[in-house]
Amino acid sequence: MNPKLERILPRVQKPARYTGGEYREIQKDKAAVDTRFAFCFPDTYEIGMSNLGMRILYGAINEMDGVWCERCFAPWGDMEEEMRRAELPLFALESGDPIRDFDLVAFSLGYEMAYTNVLNMLDLAGIPLYASQRDESWPIVCAGGTCAYHAEPLADFIDLFFLGEGEELDPEVIECYRACKKQGKSKTEFLEEAVKIQGVYVPAFYQVAYNEDGTLRSMTPTHGAPAKVTKRIIKDLDSAYYPTHTIVPSTEIVHDRVMLELFRGCVRGCRFCQAGYCYRPVRAKTSETLVRQGIEACVDSGYQEMTLTSLSSSDYRPLTCLLDGLLDYCEPRNINISLPSLRADGFSMGIMRRLQKARKSSMTFAPEAGTQRLRDAINKNVTEDDLLQSCRTVFEGGCSAVKLYFMLGLPTETDEDVKGIADLADKVYQSWRAYTPNRSKGVRITISTSFFVPKPFTPFQWEKQISMEEYQRRVDLLRSCIHNRSIVYNWHDGDASYVEAALARGDRRMSRVLEEVWRSGGRLDSWSEYFDFERWMNAFRKAGLDPDFYACRERPRCELLPWSVSDVGVRQDYLWQEREQAYRGVITPDCRVKCMGCGATRLIPGEKCDVDRG
Amino acid sequence: MAGHKNRLLFRKEERGVYISHLDLMALFQRAFLRAGVAIWQTQGYNRHSFVSLPLPLSVGYSSRCELLEFTLESDIPLDEIPARLNATLPEGIVVERCYEAEIPFKRIAAIDWTVALEYDDGTPEGVLPALEEFFAQESCVIQKPSKKSKKGYTELDLIPMVYQWDAAEEPHAVNLHLRLMAQNPGLNPAVLVGTLTERRPELTPDFVRYRRNEIFGADGGIFR
Repeated sequence: MNPKLERILPRVQKPARYTGGEYREIQKDKAAVDTRFAFCFPDTYEIGMSNLGMRILYGAINEMDGVWCERCFAPWGDMEEEMRRAELPLFALESGDPIRDFDLVAFSLGYEMAYTNVLNMLDLAGIPLYASQRDESWPIVCAGGTCAYHAEPLADFIDLFFLGEGEELDPEVIECYRACKKQGKSKTEFLEEAVKIQGVYVPAFYQVAYNEDGTLRSMTPTHGAPAKVTKRIIKDLDSAYYPTHTIVPSTEIVHDRVMLELFRGCVRGCRFCQAGYCYRPVRAKTSETLVRQGIEACVDSGYQEMTLTSLSSSDYRPLTCLLDGLLDYCEPRNINISLPSLRADGFSMGIMRRLQKARKSSMTFAPEAGTQRLRDAINKNVTEDDLLQSCRTVFEGGCSAVKLYFMLGLPTETDEDVKGIADLADKVYQSWRAYTPNRSKGVRITISTSFFVPKPFTPFQWEKQISMEEYQRRVDLLRSCIHNRSIVYNWHDGDASYVEAALARGDRRMSRVLEEVWRSGGRLDSWSEYFDFERWMNAFRKAGLDPDFYACRERPRCELLPWSVSDVGVRQDYLWQEREQAYRGVITPDCRVKCMGCGATRLIPGEKCDVDRG
Repeated sequence: MAGHKNRLLFRKEERGVYISHLDLMALFQRAFLRAGVAIWQTQGYNRHSFVSLPLPLSVGYSSRCELLEFTLESDIPLDEIPARLNATLPEGIVVERCYEAEIPFKRIAAIDWTVALEYDDGTPEGVLPALEEFFAQESCVIQKPSKKSKKGYTELDLIPMVYQWDAAEEPHAVNLHLRLMAQNPGLNPAVLVGTLTERRPELTPDFVRYRRNEIFGADGGIFR
């Protein structure tokens, strides 16, 4: 171990986060490796190691001969301070080597508030922040993940973005890099080769011009880069890499369990949901594959907990069959199965009974909006009856805690919709009174509201976010409507969501804001103890940019959007059509009732979306 | 033998030294499952494999003599268990022996430690005489924070808890060999180092390395 690190570790909290050496960590012989890849997660170890995407790509890239993929996470504040004092550059956990000596340094971007961590990690590594400052002697800095579909605020810092699913794309780019390195090609020559691969976006190859009003005028590709970069997907998830032999952390992480991914994409089309549109088309694994992978992962890890993940697990057709297959193995071994992301309407007694065998004391539903009118506008096709029926099932099963998630500030929301949230919670309470077998235990109904952030690639991508003052007024209105002591109301602070809204639809000029925030001490901004709203506002002022321009401005249909270079499958005119349906309050049936031709099937030519494979 | 209490003797070294006591319990619970060695589980609502580690080791300390007790529920020969577990353990955690428990943990009396006080700019003058003087005291009473006491602390005399000591001086380190009281109460060698350097700040080392070497029973023999 690095002697500097050894000196630091006794002084920091939870040092096991910084040492590596866990079971199933992949060690390789440096002499047999020609390409070093640093997989960087711009948040702490506990968050990053809970990310299934990271585990998949770590395994998939390490299957390549001659390539060693190692992990790197953002240090917590105490560790960062010690590292800077000791002049210990950011290192990879497996080898302990500084990542600045690697060939490729890749960040996984899951949420906008992690952007300042990307800058901080580059700086801690001793790597120049701006892509233009890095010649061949520096690693190629890349980024992928959900935010990569629109990461223009990071465009000046990143050499190459991976758009879409990385199981095939990442190894292709790495192979391209190896070939170029062998031929002694320059960084620009490598990037020119890389943009020929579908799913690669090299921001430096686009010339950007702005109109006088600050909107985007043009993004002109150069160096042979494509005008549109189409995201990559895995066509057959059954044969795709899944990590059954995965690292078991030696210290507790957030999701410390087996994660089994049922399917990608979503048939629902909730109009606020970025993942729902970005991850289309819908592709499921067969239940046979999942039962096999789930059991293998339990055997290999020794975990006694498993979670089934997807955007809407009750839409997994063979769910009952899958649960039966897994429970045959899990029940006798006391392995708990948890099933988040259940829709209130798809919830059945059968599933409840199956889960109850493995314990379940609290249930979470996300009606998102308080009235049917608004739920129709956002296309959250859950009715009050569905929800109350599900709650009845849950309460009859002896459960005494229900959590309900909502958003405030959705397009078309009125005060009636806000008050509707309190009414709905009250009806859930009445349902508990009517159906619980044991009233003496009491019930706890938790309402949580978040502040709606319009995201690219959704029908609401043109919308303005309501002001923070208006959000707070609606929070206060809702508070004043709750009089029942069994109902607890939690709400998110508006300021972080406002910054998130600006970043989510920002353009390249935002890089100056990010740099300024970071220079004035910003990092770990997704943690409330680190987030400083004033720091962000000062940075916007210094950069001469108005956050309202990005967060609170409605865009006309004709405006060139900064993310228009990315093609996620779903067509822009389909999104506009969905927006109009929202204002009409008309719901769009889910993909199983009728295919609306959103465009995602263009990614799987000759094949069907959401194939029923039993 | 199934149903009987068994013990593991294992080492905790290298990167494994940063695994905390609670995390180590979870780690072994999973390692037994990975190794296919069925052990007794708690019979409550949230069933989990039951393991017991008698002497919690501070994070960062290495050890050549950690003990863990469990109850085997399968007919696997005990001498096969170390290899099976080692194949599923992370770096630095190495099981050396598995055997039937005989003497209860409460008979553990003393622990042998090596404590290396490291000085980057060379070992300061007069370390050995200072140590002589420190350990030759009749008593050395410190205040130990305590939640139970009304005063918020209890008084503890360190000297009777030090059974043996010697020290070897090197150009950049002093290696202390200590035999300290193990439990009820145990003496963490960091408390000794802290008390020493509080009284003699010029002896404050740049880094201290702690290693547990051996455990002794009430009869003075090696405890297993």
